[in-house]
Amino acid sequence: MPESCEASVTLAGDLHARPAGALAVAAAKFTSSVELTVGASRADAKSVLAVMGLGASSGQQVTVRAAGPDAREAVEAMIGILAEATKVGG
Amino acid sequence: MSDTPKVGIVLVSHSAALAEGTAELAGQIAGGTVTITTAGGTEDGRIGTSIDKVERALRLADGGAGVVILPDLGSSVLTVRALLSDSDDLPDQVNVADAPFVEGAVAATVTAAAGGDVKAVLGAAEEARHARKL
Repeated sequence: MPESCEASVTLAGDLHARPAGALAVAAAKFTSSVELTVGASRADAKSVLAVMGLGASSGQQVTVRAAGPDAREAVEAMIGILAEATKVGG
Repeated sequence: MSDTPKVGIVLVSHSAALAEGTAELAGQIAGGTVTITTAGGTEDGRIGTSIDKVERALRLADGGAGVVILPDLGSSVLTVRALLSDSDDLPDQVNVADAPFVEGAVAATVTAAAGGDVKAVLGAAEEARHARKL
């Protein structure tokens, strides 16, 4: 049964290339659609170029929305990477 | 997933430094789990392309799941096409991406790292054309 899930995190550092890659690799493994929103910008989390194109920087809030059978797990994975990876930059 | 072979990436550039730098960048962004090989410059180290270098890079990149080749500029495409049309016994599922070099390499490598098949990796590279930077 498809479901949707949403959560937000405030970035501790800028969203650089390596964490963007980690997000896209992780997102692609889920069946659900996964979208990141920062301010007025949205990106498909499965597209590393779109994620990098968000230009998300330290202190900004990122909202993760997923829809599909593994939406909850997808959101948890994205939030985990966003919280950890932006601590050290990339 | 870790036991499943991943699609390999071949970067063909007129410049060895450009090919190697792009491979390093894409590999780091994707987490280092994808085989990326390079064919940059001529056999004697000048700016240009080498059909023999492309063939070696193609064989090294093949892990059984197919290979996507990214050429940098026009005559790299000619060199790749010459190899693919003249050589027998090349790896199966070899595709040439019509894509911007850096963005295409990054998108293709990330998709390969996630376990995408050769069609998905090729698609990611070619969609890179539409990615906005700003």
